[in-house]
Amino acid sequence: MSKPRIAIFDFACCEGCQLQIVNLEEELLDLIGAVDVVEWREAMSEQSHEYDIAIVEGSITRPEDEDRVEIIRSRAKILIALGACATIGGVNKLKNNFDLDDVKECVYGDDAKMPHLDTAMTKAVDEVVEVDYKVHGCPIDRKEFTYIVRCLLLGKKPEIPEWPVCVECKAKGNPCLWEYGQVCLGPIIRAGCGARCPSSGFRCFGCRGYVDEPNVNAAKDVIEKYGLSIEDLKGKMILFGSTQGPTNE
Amino acid sequence: MAVKKITKAALTEWVGELVSKERVFGVQSKGDKFDFGPLTSAQDLRLDYDVTLQPPKKYFLPPVETLLTFEVSAGYESQYSDKPFVLIGVHPYDMIAINQIDELFKQGYYDTHYMTRRSNATIITCDVVNASENVFASQMKTATVKDGFDILLTDIGDSYIAEAATEKGEALLSKAETADASKDDLDKREKIQKDNEKNLSKHQLKCEVAELPGLLENAYNHPVWEEKAATCFACGSCNQVCPTCYCFNVQDDVKWDMKTGQRCRAWDGCMLDGFAMVAGGHDFRKKRADRFRHRLYRKAKYVPEKIGGQIACVGCGRCVSACLPDIANPVNVYNRLFDDIKTK
Ligand code: SF4
Ligand code: SF4
Ligand code: SF4
Ligand code: SF4
Ligand code: SF4
Repeated sequence: MSKPRIAIFDFACCEGCQLQIVNLEEELLDLIGAVDVVEWREAMSEQSHEYDIAIVEGSITRPEDEDRVEIIRSRAKILIALGACATIGGVNKLKNNFDLDDVKECVYGDDAKMPHLDTAMTKAVDEVVEVDYKVHGCPIDRKEFTYIVRCLLLGKKPEIPEWPVCVECKAKGNPCLWEYGQVCLGPIIRAGCGARCPSSGFRCFGCRGYVDEPNVNAAKDVIEKYGLSIEDLKGKMILFGSTQGPTNE
Repeated sequence: MAVKKITKAALTEWVGELVSKERVFGVQSKGDKFDFGPLTSAQDLRLDYDVTLQPPKKYFLPPVETLLTFEVSAGYESQYSDKPFVLIGVHPYDMIAINQIDELFKQGYYDTHYMTRRSNATIITCDVVNASENVFASQMKTATVKDGFDILLTDIGDSYIAEAATEKGEALLSKAETADASKDDLDKREKIQKDNEKNLSKHQLKCEVAELPGLLENAYNHPVWEEKAATCFACGSCNQVCPTCYCFNVQDDVKWDMKTGQRCRAWDGCMLDGFAMVAGGHDFRKKRADRFRHRLYRKAKYVPEKIGGQIACVGCGRCVSACLPDIANPVNVYNRLFDDIKTK
């Protein structure tokens, strides 16, 4: 069997997820030994139009990026969205909460009208093209990433949790942060990070995106039980949840 | 085996000896709560705790464990954890839960991974001193325990009553400085146990626990399942903290050589989306209401049918505290059914 050709592309993001791949250390050699990396701007100068697996990092924020990701999609057999920017739009979606002209002016000042600085509503990759697999998180979890790649190499479907962060949080024996006044999004956010934040005493802010069927009614009840308002909850959902799922309901 | 009395100072000394020689896990404080953890100093042991965050099942069925390592086309090798350990401070209701899981893991497929850990454990139980905010063990008749443990400790004020129930327990206890318990001491113990059998009742069951399986006979289509599940997160917290839940999920991970790897099992839970997925991806308890019902049917009907009547809820109250929308309390559901079905 010839090695699958992999190409890695970035759109609007901080490239932190690619950095996680670079930082795989000894596993990086395993990865590079098992696949043929044909394009990866962050790590090499070659470019290629022929690849089997495209890994796309970042969110889609401009019309020309939509065209670019469509071309990538048409060339790849498998497309993987890498990191929260790509899977759910990530922090880039914050701007969708404001008027776009205001956003531009705030960021670029007088240059805001320049054509190359044009911007559109932020989209997750799957709002533009079909995505086969998602590596969730901001940043991604290195172990989960290599697990997914190994599954693909074996032709096996990776098992990505459909359940919320609370499962992993409780398995670790953490006391629930709600009891200590924190608005933790754990019950509606997809697990897989090992409840990274609550295990260090910080509420989950939702970087892995919502579970498939988040129960927003339940969240509203809980908010009331703890004497908070819906606005308190929304304020916490906005960082990673802007214009997706139940945030704007 | 004679029942002994051990002063609190002598107990601390004995536990201190133990932790210096053996692998010991015991109840300690964790912030303003308590949990089991590796015990390194006798001073950290808190036998006056109310309830632990996690039940002790993790010492027999860890959240994740490797069952075997394999090499494709060469075979596999089972992995066992067979290091002896001592577990100190198990409350009676949790001991009864362990006894139940023992029974279930012996039936049908004998689970050697679980049993290896179990047979390497020496369990020291202790009667409850402080009731937790949601405990209802008295209602489930699990406030005191008669078997399964190696040693049972009861705090009678200045001393503990210590009763060894097995040879392992006897051998361990013989290392402590003890005296024979007097009639008076035993009376004190009996009073504490009798009180616990009444007072660990923060939630009151309206019927006898033995009536529960019968009650569920006629409750399959009751609206309570839909009502409760309407605010369920499917977060599995109620399963994760429950001492009698033991569902797991098995997963293989192959290494980069694409040949060798390991098979692991991890806790699962009947409340999770994705649980009960059968081949073909058809989720036969898709609806959360169905899964909510399954959890309570399992506790009060399926398990008792398998192990001779015992209900698989020991009234520890952990799910009540852990459920954010406050719907997991089994007593509320059973009472609701009792009101509607039995009074008709
Ligand atoms: S998901 Fe987070 S770490 Fe990854 S590229 Fe986006 S902002 Fe950076
Ligand atoms: S701290 Fe957050 S993740 Fe943990 S159990 Fe509570 S809500 Fe769930
Ligand atoms: S706990 Fe929440 S915010 Fe933290 S890594 Fe996990 S999903 Fe992201
Ligand atoms: S169902 Fe709830 S109260 Fe009953 S044993 Fe399980 S966690 Fe404890
Ligand atoms: S803890 Fe409550 S919300 Fe979570 S799965 Fe159980 S019943 Fe549902």
